[in-house]
Amino acid sequence: MASTGITPRESTAFHRNSLDGKQLTPNEREQLLKPFLPPEPSSSSTEPSRPSTPAPASKPRRHTSHQLKRNTGLVRHAIHVLIYTVIHAIFSVFFRFRRAWRLVCSKVVALMFYHHRTPEFIRKDVKNLEKLPDHLSVILEFHENDEDQGNAGLEGLVNDVCELAAWSASVGIPLLSIYEKNGILKNCRPQLHASISLTLDSYFGPQRKPSLSLHAPHLPSYSPPSTPPRSSTPNSEGGKTAPHHLTILLLSAADGRETMCDLTKTLSDMAQKDSLNPYDITADLISAELIEAVSGEPDLLILFSPTVVLKGYPPWQLRLTEIFHLPDNKGVNYQVFIRALHKYAKVEMRLGK
Amino acid sequence: MTESLHNSRIRTWFASSPPVIWGIRQLRELLLGALRQGPIPQHVAFVMDGNRRFARGHRLETVEGHNLGFEALARILEVCYKTGVKVVTIYAFSIENFKRSKAEVDALMDMAKVKLDQLSEHGALLDRYGASIRILGQRDLVKPDVLEAIDKAVALTAGNKKAILNVCFPYTSRDEITTAVKKTVLQYSKPIGSRPPPSRRPFSETHITRNLRARMLTVVPEEMSEKSESRSTSPSSSKELYHAEGEHSSATSTLTNQSEKGENQSQSPGLIYPDPETITDETLTSNMLTVGAPPLDLLVRTSGVQRLSDFMLWQCHQNTSIVFLDCLWPEFDMWHFLPVLVEWQWQRKKLQEQERSRGRHKLD
Repeated sequence: MASTGITPRESTAFHRNSLDGKQLTPNEREQLLKPFLPPEPSSSSTEPSRPSTPAPASKPRRHTSHQLKRNTGLVRHAIHVLIYTVIHAIFSVFFRFRRAWRLVCSKVVALMFYHHRTPEFIRKDVKNLEKLPDHLSVILEFHENDEDQGNAGLEGLVNDVCELAAWSASVGIPLLSIYEKNGILKNCRPQLHASISLTLDSYFGPQRKPSLSLHAPHLPSYSPPSTPPRSSTPNSEGGKTAPHHLTILLLSAADGRETMCDLTKTLSDMAQKDSLNPYDITADLISAELIEAVSGEPDLLILFSPTVVLKGYPPWQLRLTEIFHLPDNKGVNYQVFIRALHKYAKVEMRLGK
Repeated sequence: MTESLHNSRIRTWFASSPPVIWGIRQLRELLLGALRQGPIPQHVAFVMDGNRRFARGHRLETVEGHNLGFEALARILEVCYKTGVKVVTIYAFSIENFKRSKAEVDALMDMAKVKLDQLSEHGALLDRYGASIRILGQRDLVKPDVLEAIDKAVALTAGNKKAILNVCFPYTSRDEITTAVKKTVLQYSKPIGSRPPPSRRPFSETHITRNLRARMLTVVPEEMSEKSESRSTSPSSSKELYHAEGEHSSATSTLTNQSEKGENQSQSPGLIYPDPETITDETLTSNMLTVGAPPLDLLVRTSGVQRLSDFMLWQCHQNTSIVFLDCLWPEFDMWHFLPVLVEWQWQRKKLQEQERSRGRHKLD
């Protein structure tokens, strides 16, 4: 508490509402607070009106004091700007060093964890985890032309999706939702499905390949007949290595606020036609509708961006989602994925209790 | 209690000696003034998480933990307002928190009441900060005596325009969004007026069609002769036919009209409703509890939990920087917050540079 510039005596007074064993009255409390208060609200807004208030006799002195005040104000401003520049210079260096350090760290971790495009290795990495998310969500970005990464353009994005799908399938996550702001992925579902199938092929081999279906809200789901029928799933429950089914859900910014607006429009329409009482609208109703139309709450959301910015991810679904990101990380990579799963397994859910 | 917080007495003595305290105070002011020179988030939200864990860790009572949390809040509010943050939103109490033990809920409610009452006693001091308090949340869930204290404090500070403190008290974001949807639906299900009765004008449509018919008959008798002959076997039946045909044509022409007017007319013919297609996300935003506040720039959650826990979902899912800190809320003070602020400023500046360079690329 010393760091705030409050004496212990004052701090106990604030704390217990009593000074030296006596209860404080409102007046005493105000006295105690005086030194911490900001100046009277007089600064810029009331300054022009001030010269009219003092007596005319003190005109010259007032003038100088005014000048003096302005001068000290200028000096203070200069000091502030100087300190601001210095702080930012120092922090800028610090942030860059930290980024470099974190990059090194993540490279080291990446050496330790590598999947070798083999599901068994991936499964080994998550073997000790007590729980896995049933619904994993990731936010991906479309890079137009990024020099320092190899994942520019649609090709890079599709490549990221393929890798993520393969990792999720290896771990055994049944539902993977992929958010990309502009919805580019939604437009090329057949190609995407083909690429993911190819990647799964190279991970699992054609026999043990998990079946795959690709969904997007408001669009017909894409699961061509070439994928093995679901009948293989029931008898695969026992064996760990047996193929399972992976569902991929493609989301975009339109599934967030816009869908919410669409729902409101529909509800308004119904209310206008008297088929709905507006007071019947509850969170459960909205929840049910959105689960139907978009998706449920993901258990874990992985960000591959350097900072946590959600970029328009559907808001309703984010309620209790665990958000994982690695500071200063750039681009999709396996160690982020694995660390996210590890973090998730350790998380305790309290649900407000 | 101070001893348990600070192990070394000598350090405490040194830190509490008047010159050191004066020096720290000056340093604070200087730093805050300096950071004001850069971009400042206009709207900051805090999830005050970790009070109970702090109390457990320091072997205090849970309520004491909340008390310390309140002090941390006061400290951080001072920092925010001095650096020029316009709106601070804090997650004080979730609707889910009612699930906690009754004693704790009651204690929290009492605390809120006491603090708000104290606040109301110092109206003049509050004016100096120029901050007005708003309580966001489900009022029905609050007990009447607490509600009274809330209303008093809100009314007292309502005139302050410089800054806003949003206290989310029985709040969840889903509840907020639901309420916003409900409000919007209510707005749009209220008729904005009634359609004027159709037969107001001195001309009748049937009369005009009849006239048209008659004129056509006279102008092109050859073409129409077959039809008219076949139809006009008797005057009464021709009238019926005219009517039927008039209805038919009007039906085809109003097919497009009807869809514009909406189907509601079949039920309440005289009423006009606002068009639901005009609902946008701004309509919903204007029905959220944070209406009028600038977009959320920064959301800070302490205690290392990386979840939003039903807080500000609608406000923070676009461009808000979300920061998760490992310290517990009662430990949170300026020295935790300023690095966050500096980093935010740094990121903001980098974003601006990127945008500028992108704009230049486009110009080229």
